[in-house]
Amino acid sequence: MSKVMTMKEAISRFVHDGDFLFIGGYICRTPFAAIHEIIRQGKKDLTITRSNAADDFDMLIGAGVVKRFIATFLSLGVYGLGRCFRRSLEKGIPHKIEIEEYTNLSLPMMLMAGAMGMPFIPVKDMVGSDLLKVKSFLGDDKYKVIENPFDGTPTLVVPPLKPDVAIIHVQQADENGNAQVWGIEGDCKWGANAAEKVIVSCERIVSREVIGKDPSRTIVPDFQVVAVVEEPFGAHPGYTPGFYDVDFMFGSLYQQASNTEEGFRAFLDEWVFGVEDRTAYIQHYIEKFGYAQFRGLWADFDYGYPVSYAY
Amino acid sequence: MSATELEYIKPELMACCGAREIRDGDLVIVGTGFPTVAANIAKYTHAPNARMMQESGVYDAQPKRPALSVGDPCLNPGAAFIGSLVDVMGMFLQGGKVDVGFLSGSQVDKYGNINTTAIGDYHHPKSRLPGSGGANPIGLLVKRVLIIALHDKRRLAEKVDFITTPGYIDGPGARAKWGLPEDQGPEVIITNKAVLRFDKETKEAYLESYHPGNTVEEILEHTPWDLKVSPDVHETPPPTAEELRVIREIIDPMRMITIYLKRGYV
Repeated sequence: MSKVMTMKEAISRFVHDGDFLFIGGYICRTPFAAIHEIIRQGKKDLTITRSNAADDFDMLIGAGVVKRFIATFLSLGVYGLGRCFRRSLEKGIPHKIEIEEYTNLSLPMMLMAGAMGMPFIPVKDMVGSDLLKVKSFLGDDKYKVIENPFDGTPTLVVPPLKPDVAIIHVQQADENGNAQVWGIEGDCKWGANAAEKVIVSCERIVSREVIGKDPSRTIVPDFQVVAVVEEPFGAHPGYTPGFYDVDFMFGSLYQQASNTEEGFRAFLDEWVFGVEDRTAYIQHYIEKFGYAQFRGLWADFDYGYPVSYAY
Repeated sequence: MSATELEYIKPELMACCGAREIRDGDLVIVGTGFPTVAANIAKYTHAPNARMMQESGVYDAQPKRPALSVGDPCLNPGAAFIGSLVDVMGMFLQGGKVDVGFLSGSQVDKYGNINTTAIGDYHHPKSRLPGSGGANPIGLLVKRVLIIALHDKRRLAEKVDFITTPGYIDGPGARAKWGLPEDQGPEVIITNKAVLRFDKETKEAYLESYHPGNTVEEILEHTPWDLKVSPDVHETPPPTAEELRVIREIIDPMRMITIYLKRGYV
């Protein structure tokens, strides 16, 4: 049965107020079309997570849809600190989010533990740091120090994470949700497979036969997936290997806009509330910056190097 | 122009200081900016068998320009391996395979503890910073940590406001209490004025060399703790012609390193 639907339908059916969301991406394959739709639909009280968050998480926080953030890091990369993130934590604008802090080792391990149904997972980071002194909404369940049952040494263990919904953007998927990626993965595979339901946003829908041409690329199998959305340029201003590059111009635009609360509101009005869907967003982009700028983001075409699974 | 009179900018000298800490065959985990430039200088000069990885899941990337983030598109084509955070941070780093890690921070103290979380009170921060990211596990789990910092009384501190990434914590023996190997940890703090190296006994950073144009007095004045000066203190050797050639012709022909001038690395 096909799970293909619009982003509007996927977000409205599967993302509910108060849900715990894993949102994949690492500048590479950020599911921005879904981020914008969540903001447009005015979802509330979400808990969000992923390692190394960037402009998309900053935007969700600024838009006021986030209550809690299981975090390791948030910045705008070359554009500096996340302005909305700072306003929330420093000044309570639009409200102060609750933040539980881990690292780019422990958090992906917690997602892996969630995906694998482990009761907890030992990690070798965080010891000796003040990350152990600050506890937020997870309280004493942020971590425990136990005795290693094998050699008696003190061992830090952290809990598994099991998000209600994972949203990832991939290069291609079939209509049942077998989702394939190539390039930098971040914590996408573990985050997606840890979740109860997965929404797959993709550059193109391909047949099941095409998936089978290179099955090693599949990071999420169809039985985990509840919705497949074909959303070309769905990761813009992030990039998708083989499809388009990072849009540095737009990154700078977001930085400038989000410098002030008013600028950020105006940005949302123009790029999120002012467009109905991703198609309208791209249309608006082309009208504003010209087709040449848009075309300039496209990746060079390369047939690549075919793999063979013949025997 | 003789080799001693070569013109260079401070960020180039700092990158060379980082490169000189890398040994042939080292596995190096890098972020962006200085670390990538430094590691590449080493690779193209004295350490041809050094290999780099990024926490995002990339090993032995072959970028055609300096990466602007650890998720940069230029890291993908040509890499030897692309996996996930669990692969690089879990398998390679936590597995104990990585020799060198580069870190920087808004605040660094005399024991090499680094703050990238918050300036001021954590719960009511004066300035909220990005957080750990990969820094904490890199600082705890690589064999040698190289720290890059601006040299002033705001960036260097007697004690950081928040220990995001432990160095030697509060001195000798502190890492062992947490089950961490005593012979691992911060090696140097490379600043825009000096190279500070960590004393093996006291675990405190001391002045090893001052950069050309900077003086010991000036450095002491801009360091907020009672900085010990090595009896062998000397001028930092300037970049060689070969190091500069590698930076300008191979690694960074677009001169992206100059952005560090605007960030105060002068």
